[in-house]
Amino acid sequence: MSAFLGQVLNGIATGMLYALMGLGLSLVTGVLNIPNFAHGALFAIGAYLLASAANLMGNFWLALVIAPLGAALLGLAIEYLGIRRLYAAGHDYQLLFTFGLALILSEAIILVWGPVGYSHLPPPILRGGVDLGFTFYPKYRLFVMVAAGLLVLGTWLFLEKTRYGAIMRAGIENKEMVSLLGIDVHKLFTAAFALGAYLAGIAGALTAPIRGLSPGMGVDMLGIAFVVVALGGLGNLLGAIAAGLLIGVAQAIVAAHWTEASSVVIYAVMAAVLLVRPQGLFGIR
Amino acid sequence: MNRALIAILAAIVLLPLVVRPAIASEIWIFAIFGLGVNLLLGYTGLLSFGQGTFFGSAAYVAGWLLKHYAINVFFALGIGVGVGALSALVVGYLCVQRSGLYFIMLTFALNQLFYFVAYQWTSVTGGEDGMPGIPRPAILGIDFGNPVAYYVFVSVLFLASLWIMRRIVESPLGKILQAIRENEVRAEAVGYDTARFKLAAFVIGGAFSGLAGVLYAMLFGIVPLEAIGFVTSGNVVFATLIGGSGSLYGPVIGSFVFIWLSESVSTLWARWPLLLGVAFVIVVLFFRGGVVEAWSRFAAWRERKWRSSKQTG
Repeated sequence: MSAFLGQVLNGIATGMLYALMGLGLSLVTGVLNIPNFAHGALFAIGAYLLASAANLMGNFWLALVIAPLGAALLGLAIEYLGIRRLYAAGHDYQLLFTFGLALILSEAIILVWGPVGYSHLPPPILRGGVDLGFTFYPKYRLFVMVAAGLLVLGTWLFLEKTRYGAIMRAGIENKEMVSLLGIDVHKLFTAAFALGAYLAGIAGALTAPIRGLSPGMGVDMLGIAFVVVALGGLGNLLGAIAAGLLIGVAQAIVAAHWTEASSVVIYAVMAAVLLVRPQGLFGIR
Repeated sequence: MNRALIAILAAIVLLPLVVRPAIASEIWIFAIFGLGVNLLLGYTGLLSFGQGTFFGSAAYVAGWLLKHYAINVFFALGIGVGVGALSALVVGYLCVQRSGLYFIMLTFALNQLFYFVAYQWTSVTGGEDGMPGIPRPAILGIDFGNPVAYYVFVSVLFLASLWIMRRIVESPLGKILQAIRENEVRAEAVGYDTARFKLAAFVIGGAFSGLAGVLYAMLFGIVPLEAIGFVTSGNVVFATLIGGSGSLYGPVIGSFVFIWLSESVSTLWARWPLLLGVAFVIVVLFFRGGVVEAWSRFAAWRERKWRSSKQTG
């Protein structure tokens, strides 16, 4: 029983990270109306920046601040220099562009950090575990659970309670109307992409001490982010959390008994949900 | 016989003189793959980023049967077409009910499902090492171990595929698919069950992908893991787009350009995907109409230059 609860806790920790990824992707996809295949690469960039910054400065917390900002800055540049020129183009060309960017970024990771994956230790204060009564649990995973939860909450507060968040939600609903109301949609798009990149970057940074770093980590996470959005619905915060937790917990439980199936189970769960509910968990098209 | 067909026949004859027969075969195999993608992208307006699923599944299943049960080549091709169509039916059933960006993301996510199954099921697929040792059995006394004989076989199948695809796009079904591309709401209002027709297009595209997958497996004697991965799915979309998805012959031109370039550059540098990514970005930003448009722009520029030199001279 205690082992099972431990697996559920693991599932919640990774599920929150999945929700964070899905949330960022959902913002970008919803506001900009583009297929963003570079979202996973920004996740990987966040992870690698964290490892390098932490090793360079010897301070994990400073690195945790810097790494996602680096990813956000990169996102800003990508939107400003590239995607901005493609809003009138079809999804096919937008896809090709972001997929090309993903290839460039993952190859750049190999060129800069090497093709072999490596691990990154959590900061000393978060090493080891704590006794939760029913199980002995790694401190760092508890930290990730709380941090990712706070980030999701922060994003929710931003979207629901601030003026800029309201503009972003309006942008998902109806772009023409937003621009008719005198809001510069270009700025809105840039901001949404940068925020999405920030969330991907910080998800990557938080993941690095759990799963280590490898050049392929971005693509794996991209598929998962797509699953979260497909199940949760575009721009649906609650949907992203529900979908992220669903596949995170399902994966953790299956992985404990059948390690080989741990990646497959995410997509199998998605296929199963779509069989019953083609419109996703909350029925948003 | 039209000019495009004459050009293709000439290319089939001349190509093995310019490049190795294996590369020449790969070009026509990839063109068969592209024909299927173009039925979705060009004619139905469906952007699938998961065509590697059907290509790879067919290659694995037919490859396995060829390797362990020494099946006949024609049977292998049939199996490939069947597996491609069947896997496309399953994936398509889950995807066609959603549209736009959801459709793209779902095709990719389900591609990942098949990829991870192939990655983990090492006893059958060989995982990361791929499935080697796929034979190319002789038929009717013709030894397909000879690369030129296999090239001729592939070329004939390509021409047959092109003919079939042409019949499909000119058929009533093809017209309905184009109506869906132009205006799905209207096509539905006229009384067509658009989801069912989109699924039909998906299955046909899967069948073409499957045929290409088996031919690919027999060409190289191995099914690499990448055959079922997202890179394959991306490459075929790219090849179709650079050829121009508007016409029947677009993917043929695209696969010609793509395979030739990739085979000449990928052997030079291990980080070749980096260049591929740069190529994607440049094409999208500057040559969005594909090779055909780039050529006509070049022709117009040459014309202008010629005129201005005549005026000044």
